[in-house]
Amino acid sequence: MPPAPSAAAGSCALSLGSRFLFGCRVTAAHRFAASPVQPPSPLHQQPHLQPCRQGRRWLRPELRGVYKPRLSPEAMKEFWRLSGIGPDHSRAKAADQQAEVPPEIKRLYQEALPPIVSQDYRDPIVESLHRAEMMRRRRVINIPEFHVGSILAVSVMDKHAPNKVNRFVGLCILRRHTGLFTTFTLRNMVDQVCVQIEYELYSPSIVSIQLLKLERRLDDNLLYLMDAPHSHCTIPFDMVPEPYSRNDPVPVNRERVRLNPPPWMCKWHLHGYQGIDLEHLYSYLSDKDVAKAIEFSKAYKRYDLLDQYLNRVPVPDADYAFKDIFIQHQELLQHQQQQQ
Amino acid sequence: SQLIVAMATAPHTWLRLVPSCRSYSKATRLHKIDYPWKDEPKPHWVRQFEARRVDADLTPENRDWLRQWRLQRVRDAVASSSEAAAAASPLKEPPAARPLWTPRVSQRCGLVGIKLGILPMWYRNGQKVHTTVVQIPDQRVLRWVPPEDLGNYASLREMRPYRLNQSLLPRWLTQQRWGLQLVGAVPADPANFTAQWCGIFKAAGLPPMRKISRFLVSPDAALQPGACLGLHHFRVGDCVDVVARTVNRGFQGVMERHLMEGGPAAHGSTKFHRKMGSAAGGGGPIYRGKRMPGVMGNRFRAARSLPVLRVNTKHRLLFIKGFTPGPPHSYCQIMDSWMLDVRRSLDANPPPMPTYFAEDAPEGGYPEDVYHPDLLPYDQPLELPD
Repeated sequence: MPPAPSAAAGSCALSLGSRFLFGCRVTAAHRFAASPVQPPSPLHQQPHLQPCRQGRRWLRPELRGVYKPRLSPEAMKEFWRLSGIGPDHSRAKAADQQAEVPPEIKRLYQEALPPIVSQDYRDPIVESLHRAEMMRRRRVINIPEFHVGSILAVSVMDKHAPNKVNRFVGLCILRRHTGLFTTFTLRNMVDQVCVQIEYELYSPSIVSIQLLKLERRLDDNLLYLMDAPHSHCTIPFDMVPEPYSRNDPVPVNRERVRLNPPPWMCKWHLHGYQGIDLEHLYSYLSDKDVAKAIEFSKAYKRYDLLDQYLNRVPVPDADYAFKDIFIQHQELLQHQQQQQ
Repeated sequence: SQLIVAMATAPHTWLRLVPSCRSYSKATRLHKIDYPWKDEPKPHWVRQFEARRVDADLTPENRDWLRQWRLQRVRDAVASSSEAAAAASPLKEPPAARPLWTPRVSQRCGLVGIKLGILPMWYRNGQKVHTTVVQIPDQRVLRWVPPEDLGNYASLREMRPYRLNQSLLPRWLTQQRWGLQLVGAVPADPANFTAQWCGIFKAAGLPPMRKISRFLVSPDAALQPGACLGLHHFRVGDCVDVVARTVNRGFQGVMERHLMEGGPAAHGSTKFHRKMGSAAGGGGPIYRGKRMPGVMGNRFRAARSLPVLRVNTKHRLLFIKGFTPGPPHSYCQIMDSWMLDVRRSLDANPPPMPTYFAEDAPEGGYPEDVYHPDLLPYDQPLELPD
């Protein structure tokens, strides 16, 4: 690294950088009045100019005459790959960044991810306590892997029920919060009445959670089924569980639901739902609303870095959580084998 | 020793723009007139932090070595005054005359805690309960100010203007039943602090700490400087009061701050939607304490009578039922509750006086987690009675 210029009286302005000249109107002559550095020469003779849009910008003396190679495209690509954000990172890819933890852990323990809130409200000890208590609860009850769009049968303790147990079968339309606060909502038709029940996943009053059909939909939540024909969420209470294999990828149900005519409970066209028949949906809307919906669904969001940064779990935190869970998962398997 | 490094994040009160919850009643907002400068942290006459002097004569390696040497001295001072050292040393005897719990008289010292977050738990009857996780850092007793000397005490000696105007002084100052117990928490590198601040701890032979708290303690429960306050000062089932600075919501208008009605949104309302309206009546002066916009939050408030439901000895955590004031990673004061029913129950089942010592430990020590009998651990199934 070249030595800094000598601390002469006139060059102090230059060596201290521009911060002491902030707000002052400075001309080139003033800056280079008594400095050892030569005054600027014509543009084509100066290799030490930084290219920038606003015009010329002088490089610091220690950077002049020094060749700094740009980052190679491979290095830049690696940087963006590790960052976890950017147009090349879809939500699914970010979760599967590291190959050290098997993918089945990420499918089973989706709620082990830390919450997406400001760093001020997150604490590593509290998060590790949540994970430890989650795994302790899983020694008592088997919580299967399920996604929004799967069909579940949940039995809860009910002192007023004949068998002291209340069983409800439904389609999972929503799954939210993290850690021990995780809840999921089941929807079904009971005597031609729509019923939605929200259960806390780690509540001890849940006796059993049985997976009847493992399936995934195109959306994170299926709240639009509230404005859809009831046939989409009518599930027989005596449904036979369908077998599934853990090793196979989760089947995706790509059906597109046709909503009922408006009025709707919510402006479904403004949330980017993929599981709604959009042509049919737009036929109910005015041209202005259709334009707004199309504007919303444009693909610019994959370039919105701040949106991705704020609405995703940082990759190192996700890795740490899954590794912690993986170790406890292996202990859980040993515990289950011992019990048998 | 790990605690010293881990607690480097000092919970200064910085601005947190959190929308307030309008659902709690106006009654909780009706406090007597108080002044923002009343909540000043004491000692305010001593500057705490000092920018570390950069010694240009030292190489970076020597600078790091000196820092490690300073931290090791702090760790040694903390370890030598800890309860483990007191238990292990064959020469030291337990305190000769431990005071007895005197009903309706005794008030013990409290603990300084750091609020971490919320953990939900369930009772054995299936009811859900939210618990606040509070970590108890390294803390030592700094000083005891007996009730007779309260008038001479530094922070009270210089009478502030509002004290002269007030006809009602606080009762702890006028009755002089209780003294002040100063407690220091979170030992840290002395180079971060001014010499004045380090001098406060020198008399007690302690390393400088980030936080000084004061507790109102009865003379029979007074602790001498250097005494160690530990996690088991509170038992599972004890009800505590938690005093902390509330979340700072910034400069807020009257609708948010004082739950005023504001004006109509429509129907011809001209520039009167979120205003205060009138400030006084009949052309009279605006009275002192008039509710107006200003900084909301960042005041000391107490959550009273919260039971301790669980104690974790590994991470030094107290699980306190309910919610306490303040954001995560803020300091809080935890003390035996002042509520009368709790005081009566403590008279029947006295806590360790004046604080927990190693001789109070049960045989075999404490397990990692101590649960309240009504609380259901997660690895046990729920069994509801028929």
